[in-house]
Amino acid sequence: MQVLLVAFHILVFPGLLFEILMGILLLGTCNKLVARMQNRVGPPIIQPWYDFLKCCGKETIVPRAANRNIYLGIPYVGLGIILSTALFIPFAGMKLVFGQSDLIVILYLLTFVSVCMIIGAAASSSPWAGVGLSREMVAMISYELPFVFVILAVAREAGRGTEAGMTFSLADIVAYQQTNGSFFLHPALIPAWIAMLFVIPCEIGMHPFDVAEAETEICEGTLAEYSGKPLAAFKLTHCVKLFVMTSLFAAMFCGGINTGIPVLNVLIVILICFAVMFVSMALPHGACARFKTEQVFRFYWTFVSGIALVGLILVWCGF
Amino acid sequence: MILENFVASFFLIALGLYCMATKKNLIKILIGMGLCDYGANLLIVSVGFNPGGTAPIFTISELSRDSFFVDPVPQALTLTSIVIGACTTAMVLGLVIRIKAKYGTLDSTKIRKLRG
Amino acid sequence: MSAAVSNFPIIAIITFFLGAFLIALIGRLNKVLRNVLVFISVTVPLVLMCLLIKPVMTDGQIVAYWMGNWAPVSDWAIGIGIEVDALGLFFGLIVTLAAFVSALYSFTYMNRDDSLENYYTLFLMLSGALLGLTQSGDLFNIFVMIEIMTMTIVALTAFRVDYDGALEGGLKYMVVGSIGSTCLLVGIAMTYRQLHTLNLAQIASKLPGNMNAVTIAAFAFLLVGFITKASLFPFHPIEADAQTVAPASISLMISGVITKCGVYGLIRVCYNLFQNIDAPSVEILITGFGALSCFICVTMAFNQHNFKRLLAFHSISQVGYVIAAAGLGTALGLNAGLYHAMNHLLFKGLLFLCAGAVEYAAGTLDLDRLGGLSKKMPKTCALFLIGAASISGLPPFNGFASKWLIYQASFEKGVSSGNFYFVVICVICLISSVLTLASFVKVSQSVFFGQLNPEFEDTKEVPAAMRIPMWILAVLCIVTGLFPNQVMKYVTGPAANAAINVGTYIDTMLGQNTAAEYGIASQATTEIGKIGIWSPVSWLLLLLIITCAVCLVSVIEDPKKTTEEERFEYNKSKGRIAKFSRDGFKAAGKELPEAENAPAEEYDKPGHHRNPVLSGSTMTFTGERDPKYEVFFSGEMPEYSQVGGSDLFWGFKHSWRRYFSYWRKWHSGIVNDYVLYGVAALAFVLLYAVLFV
Repeated sequence: MQVLLVAFHILVFPGLLFEILMGILLLGTCNKLVARMQNRVGPPIIQPWYDFLKCCGKETIVPRAANRNIYLGIPYVGLGIILSTALFIPFAGMKLVFGQSDLIVILYLLTFVSVCMIIGAAASSSPWAGVGLSREMVAMISYELPFVFVILAVAREAGRGTEAGMTFSLADIVAYQQTNGSFFLHPALIPAWIAMLFVIPCEIGMHPFDVAEAETEICEGTLAEYSGKPLAAFKLTHCVKLFVMTSLFAAMFCGGINTGIPVLNVLIVILICFAVMFVSMALPHGACARFKTEQVFRFYWTFVSGIALVGLILVWCGF
Repeated sequence: MILENFVASFFLIALGLYCMATKKNLIKILIGMGLCDYGANLLIVSVGFNPGGTAPIFTISELSRDSFFVDPVPQALTLTSIVIGACTTAMVLGLVIRIKAKYGTLDSTKIRKLRG
Repeated sequence: MSAAVSNFPIIAIITFFLGAFLIALIGRLNKVLRNVLVFISVTVPLVLMCLLIKPVMTDGQIVAYWMGNWAPVSDWAIGIGIEVDALGLFFGLIVTLAAFVSALYSFTYMNRDDSLENYYTLFLMLSGALLGLTQSGDLFNIFVMIEIMTMTIVALTAFRVDYDGALEGGLKYMVVGSIGSTCLLVGIAMTYRQLHTLNLAQIASKLPGNMNAVTIAAFAFLLVGFITKASLFPFHPIEADAQTVAPASISLMISGVITKCGVYGLIRVCYNLFQNIDAPSVEILITGFGALSCFICVTMAFNQHNFKRLLAFHSISQVGYVIAAAGLGTALGLNAGLYHAMNHLLFKGLLFLCAGAVEYAAGTLDLDRLGGLSKKMPKTCALFLIGAASISGLPPFNGFASKWLIYQASFEKGVSSGNFYFVVICVICLISSVLTLASFVKVSQSVFFGQLNPEFEDTKEVPAAMRIPMWILAVLCIVTGLFPNQVMKYVTGPAANAAINVGTYIDTMLGQNTAAEYGIASQATTEIGKIGIWSPVSWLLLLLIITCAVCLVSVIEDPKKTTEEERFEYNKSKGRIAKFSRDGFKAAGKELPEAENAPAEEYDKPGHHRNPVLSGSTMTFTGERDPKYEVFFSGEMPEYSQVGGSDLFWGFKHSWRRYFSYWRKWHSGIVNDYVLYGVAALAFVLLYAVLFV
């Protein structure tokens, strides 16, 4: 019975199936919202699923100069990592499959997913992909600094009760919010979650920050050579990443919401995910044109990092 | 007297470092390294010096509570350190000879293939 | 303690030196005999060190051996002692493992050089000196060992005298390193003046009660001496130069072991001898040096065009991590530092050996020329990816576990001391990690992936004998990453505890209750919190299951083959293809010998990328190869167009151009400048020590 329950958690809810479903819905809704903002009708909400199916049906072409094994294998590794990353994030008070989880682990697993994309791109040996992976890496450096500040601020605040005075454990962070109110309303953490809202789109590679996959300039950059099923895997990774980041936000800042009814809790968290998606992805997507690589870097290391640093200092001083 | 020794040894070390930092000729840099070495050696010998002490050479029967002699350990250390210094000098001279053959110069500002 | 065990350390050291002299004597007679001798002389110490693990690490004993049986007389050490506590053994294991791997690698790697008996003599002397340094219980002995080490390493760096810059690297190492040696000697002399002893245990027992201006100056001198040997920030250019030009097996020794000996010295000095690591000013000084090296060198690595030089800057950066963690003065911090020190040997050694393999196979290390080697050297590429993932701290490799501990330790230290400075250290470490990743992305793109430069068309995979030592390190990388709690419990934990519990050390050497007499309280053994928050093995299992499931789903229905050849075979078997050659039409399914050769000339044309593995069997009816399988060029003719080396990250580098050009100028390559930086650092540390410590 226990085994079945764990299997259910891993495979169905809040595991694989649920992640994929949520990811697709989030991306679809995002596209739809952007379209409405630009006065277009927009694609159906499950368009990402159609894209995925269509990619699956297409022929997979391996460029002659590519390293075949890595080129074909790495997308699936990336998908596997992002799917398992989601299991580290406590979802609506549900028990974690691993028992515990940790912000630094999540940070590095998310990095690993981007690395998979970079290695895949490098293995395809296309010059477009070379440019793309270089940009992807710069984007990663860009959002890492504010992300680190946000993580430290949250870790410090949530560790007030513990012996060490800090905790990276997400379970502890959620538990702390359960007793002391969610961080979203905590005055000292407001700059932190504002910075986090900026970090999310860059981490996922959503529109104004999608320098690595700029379709019009560098032919989708990292994905230039990909086709067929590996491409489908990358697209799915992108969707699931959307869900992971939004639910990470929910756990870090809106954790511990407990109405007593499990279904309601889940619905609330899903709602939060959609709200985060709207604010941090759909709005800038609709409003801005794509940034240049240097602009992304400068924006994140000055403006966003500044906000996040203010947040960290506020928490440090104990407001 | 000991104080002068200490001052002299640190002066020698400082002189050696100055020489290494400012002189462009490799041989002069080598001389600077030598000066550092001598300064350090002088320091160690002085450390073991007892004013009025005799040489620390005794047989067991001669050794008594009253025997007053300089500390033998630093002298042993100095000997070791002098040997090491000689090795260093020989090593650098060997390198300098090969560098002269390869680069055609002893100017340290021109021997900078590895940089940046 | 059985009598036999106490002889092990000295036998291990002597084996190295004996091997060195024997090879100098008979090495040139017979090549096989020489290699057998080398193998024996590196294996025996490793085995002896492994045998010491149980008594020292597990049972917590301290192995003491007095040379010539000059045991202490009434608490006064009069002889030279070999004292192996868990800390010494930990570094001893690092030394012997590195020597073993490096020697194994040298057998094939160095086979194109001559006068190898000199190489092995020097190499074994180097290993012996390093092992002696970690096992010695005598301050002056440590100095002598450091000098032997410097001498041999300079000779080995310049061993390939015709290699570009080898002599220069050796000279700079010698000149700037001599500042460190002088500082050490002066520090030792001053300590001796105050305490009249050179034995570590005795110094440790007497020093803390005897702090005055002279001992503080001695502390500063010793600190600078060991910082030079660890080649932290202002001393790092010499290290980078030496690692660039030395043979790869020696680069492994420099980056993996010699810097570690500096780390060992720092830990001994701060934790054991002066026991002032708890003073906030010392913590700030040492972590500051670590964090500065960590950040500056990782950004310097961005600019490099030489594979090994890039790795060299990374090794200083990683040593910076180690020092930043060890300087925190907490048990967790020291644990993290030691863990990372061990990991650094494993992954950086692996990466240097990969660089050596690339140089062996392709003949160059220029990141702007290499590219696409993963098709030619797939096994080396896999090893490189393991090393790169480890150093970038990707889970579940070992770099992640130790970096996680470093972040935890530094942030915890910041919170518990209320000092924001340590949070800055933590942030610097976190950011340096992603910058490390960026430069390894650069290496993998510009060496192993991307397009193959036509001039490296004939590159061959390196022999298996070279890959075995690399696999040893790679497997250790994975194992130490998968079982962090076990590593901390059995390896780094005892070592850290040994460093913190000075009392036990003193008592073992000088007789019971000596420490108590001098008022040194024995510390309770600190239990380190486990990394319980992260269980790499279960995550890895889950990942494997998920990935396999995903792969399985994607493979289930796919009758269409995916490479050109397979597709061609497949279509041919279905009778779907009619094939043309340049000479005319031929029916499908027949052997087309002319067609095999026909395109060869065609693709030899400049600008046309030819792949000898695939050419021939892959034509379509136009007589050209199917353009579908070329990389995408917007319909243009494909040509060699590698994005690698200096082309990557230009946007990023452009934003940082002032910073980068400043540091480029700073690393001027002039030995006088480096000496000046060293003298400035010495002056700074002296001043700081006098004012604050």
